[in-house]
This record gives sequence, structure tokens and C-alpha cells, in this order.
Amino acid sequence: MDAPGRASLPFERKVPTHFLSRSDLFSRGAKGGAALLLAGAALGRFAEDAAADPLPAADLAYARLLVAVELLGSDFYRQAVAASNAKPAVAKYLKKAYANEQEHYQSVAGILSGAGVTPAVSADIDFSYPSGTFGSEGSILKTARQLESIMLGAYLGAVGGMQTASLKQGLAQIAASEAQHLSYASSVSGGKAFSLAFPPALSIDQASTALDAFTS
Amino acid sequence: MKFRTIAVLITAALVCAAGASASSSSAKAGVTVYAAASLTDVFPAIDKSNTYSFAGSNALATQITNGAPADVFASANTTLPAQLFAQGVVEKPVVFTRNTLVIVVPKSNPAEIKSIYDLTKPGVKIDVANSAVPVGSYTLQVLGQMGLASQVTPNFVSQETDVRTVLSKVQLGQADAGFVYATDARAVPDGVTVIRVPAWAQPKIAYSMAIVAKSQNKAAAQAFIDEVLSKSGQATMLKYGFLPITAPVPAITKLSLSKGKPGVSVSVTGANLTGTTSVTFQGVPAKFKIVSATKLVITVPTKAKTGAITVTTPAGTATSAKAFVVLKR
Repeated sequence: MDAPGRASLPFERKVPTHFLSRSDLFSRGAKGGAALLLAGAALGRFAEDAAADPLPAADLAYARLLVAVELLGSDFYRQAVAASNAKPAVAKYLKKAYANEQEHYQSVAGILSGAGVTPAVSADIDFSYPSGTFGSEGSILKTARQLESIMLGAYLGAVGGMQTASLKQGLAQIAASEAQHLSYASSVSGGKAFSLAFPPALSIDQASTALDAFTS
Repeated sequence: MKFRTIAVLITAALVCAAGASASSSSAKAGVTVYAAASLTDVFPAIDKSNTYSFAGSNALATQITNGAPADVFASANTTLPAQLFAQGVVEKPVVFTRNTLVIVVPKSNPAEIKSIYDLTKPGVKIDVANSAVPVGSYTLQVLGQMGLASQVTPNFVSQETDVRTVLSKVQLGQADAGFVYATDARAVPDGVTVIRVPAWAQPKIAYSMAIVAKSQNKAAAQAFIDEVLSKSGQATMLKYGFLPITAPVPAITKLSLSKGKPGVSVSVTGANLTGTTSVTFQGVPAKFKIVSATKLVITVPTKAKTGAITVTTPAGTATSAKAFVVLKR
């Protein structure tokens, strides 16, 4: 399995400076510049630089959860692509969604690495899926809908729950991306592309519990 | 017999000296087993003829290193036996079971704890094992994995020398919550309420055991290890809530066709196929349908190459014994 790397993208700009040595700061500054270029091309600019204060403990807990969410998303789409059980148009979506989830992972992992802690990687979590999940296009899309609902809810919850204001725009952008995935997976499998004016946000506890359905 | 009595007394004295809770039972025969406290109920159920000393794995490792008369060391992690093996204190260890971590709260649940995130509330009294004990180390791993360590550790009110003491204190209401193994929580179903630790944050908890190098009873020690690893021993472990050593791996026993053109359907018969995530012909992915745990129907892909067929599940990979010959269209 491809283990998503630990390089960070836009969130890394919010590194609390007092965690870093001067050399670290210069090193990160150079990487951050390159990352920002990538971010500008691929994801857009997330937010203004955060203050030099460290991230609140509650925000680190949220970042940990979101890293797990993205590892699950990446693992699911990787396996869905590998199963090769979808029509070309859907297969194209699965590949793009896989790429999106990997980019999201890089960003939320950057919150942790920027704070001086090591983000989880795929080998840290054992994922499991309902029997036959990857056996047909229909079952893949059904699970994609479930997963994307959780991921959307988790990010909407994080937008409201995380205290660091400068992270919120990036989180909202990822929520929008997950909403696009959800809309596509729903419509292509015969459901409604959209319905709710206000999709529900999940609390950190609810999102964590929801993840349990896909981890063993 | 006199020697064995002395050995039991020495064992008890050493365990008490280390501050660990321990229990021993006199043996008609068998070996002296130093085992993690979480094995207190299951090991005697597997073999009651042995002499057991149950305590925190780290305390037992220290005692064995200092010459305690153990024949077998069974630890709630793989690290301690590996360290003793590297030092020549024990022979090569083997993994014999797995476990998971849970939170227990008193039945009355005075702190109204419903999830692990509630442990961050100021004033919650949490009892844990100290970090030298495997369960204490796993507890810190979970809190680290969830980003909760800085909020939860200030609520630690006591750090115990073994998991059973944590369980006991929570049961008695001396703490609002504690981290124990799932198997310990099962030991007192009416005494505590169990709250799950999220699966995504679970540490990989594996137990390993080894023959003590200075054992004078190595044949019997090996027989006990074999007994634990046997089908009936593992069944007893499962009965007490422990997890199998590994998930069942897939197997392919038969293909319905030995050759065919791309687009042709082939039935694969085997075992543990339910969780199949991919089927490939020499690396070329194939469409597949899971019919049952013992049967898949696969479609020979357009670019398939002659060779073995590979089925992958989260537990492992199975490869067909015979090559499938891909015919030209």
C-alpha cells in the first residue's frame, strides 16, 4: 500500500515558531514556499498565517482524527481503483478521488508535523470494509457514499470545532471537496446529487465513532 | 517437592517485593509460568497443572533476569521477551495471542463518561498502569494517537503496577475511569461498564511467550507453549475474549477452468475469500464477484497474462497452485 508521505502543504505555514530551531525555521521556510506554490496550483490558498501561538490541544486532537479520516479515504479509493470493477467514467472518478484524498492527507498531516508531532501513516491503522465492498461498481459506490458522508460531516464539525481561526478556510475547502465526491457517488449510483441545504456536521466523538465501522 | 515449594515461596516473595499483585497455585506437575496479569483467568483454564505467577510483565521480566525460577515467560507485549531474548535470558519468543484496549468506568459512572473524549474534562479521576507495564504503555499510545495526551494525562490520579489493580480500583469506585484490556473488563461484567477505545486509535497489542534459558524443565515448558498455540488452546483464548494470532488468510484450492480467453468467467474455490480486495492475473487486475467465503467468480481481463492467479484480502494473499493459460481471442 502506498503510505501517504509526511510532507505538508498549506497548513504547514501555521507552524508555531517557538517549536522550531532557527535552522528548522529556515528549512521549513524554503519547503513552505515550494509547498505554497503547489497549494496555489492544486488546492488554493487556505488561510492567513496563524499567530505564533501553539495549536490548542483540542485542535491537535481534531487534526489526529482528520488524519485518520484521510488515511481511510485514501485506503478505500486505492483499493477501489485496484479492484478494477468500475466502468471507465466511474473508474476515472475513483482515481481522481484517490488523488484528492492523498492531497487532503498531506494537508492535515501538515498540521501535526508543523506542531512537532508525527502524523499517523497507513500502517498504523487496520482498515476493514463490509464483505463484498470491492466486488462490484455498485457496492464500491455505496460504500463511497457512506464514507464521504462521514468525511464531509467530520470536516464540517472541524470547521466549527477547531479553535485556530486560520485553519478554518482550509478545512472548509476540504469539506467542499468531500461534498463533491459525495454528490458524484450519489448521482452516478441512482441517488440524488444533493438534497440538504445544511448537511449535518459531526462532533469529534461522532466522527470517531463513525470511523469505527471501517477499522478493525 | 521441597524444591518446588521453596520455588513457589521465592516467587511469591519476589513478586511482592516488586510491588506487583501476584497469585500462585501449587502444581501437581507442570512448569512454572510467569505471565502477564491479564492472563490470570485464561492460562489456568488452558492448563491447571502449572504453577503460575501473574503480575505486570515488566516486573516479571526483571525477576526472571535476576534469576527467578521460571520455566516460561508470557508477556503482554512482544518487546520485553525480545529484549530478554537479545540478552540470552529467554529462548526465541513466539506470538500467541492479541488483545484490545478499552476504558472501564464504575457502574454508577459518577463522572458521566460516555466516550474517550470525555476523559479530557477537568477533574475526571483516571487510573492507569504505569508506563513500564505494557498496558500503561499502550494507554499512552492511544492517547498520543488521538492527540489527547496533554489533556488527559493531568487527570491521572494513580499509576498501578498491573492491569488487574486498575480494574479493581475502578470497580471499587476509587477512580472514575481506567484503561484495561478488553479481556480484563470481561472478567467483571457486573462490576464495570465498558467504553470502547476507537478502533482507529487502537495500538497493535500482541502477546509473546518464551522458554526461560535457565529452565531445568525445557521439554515441559515447550509442551505448555505448544498447548497454548494448539487449536484447543487458541479456542480457550478466544473464549476468554482474546483475539486470534492473525486474521485467517485466504487460500485458493481450485479454478473452474485451467485456460480461457479474456472475458471468460472463472470460478475460484478456496477459503477466507469474503474480504477480497483484488484479483490479478500476473499483476493485471481482474473484475471479480464475491459469491461466498469459499467462492469468487472472476473475469479474465483483456490484458491478462498466462500464470498464477492472485487473490488479496486484508489478511494476506493467495496464489493459485497452477498457472491459468490465457488464450488469444
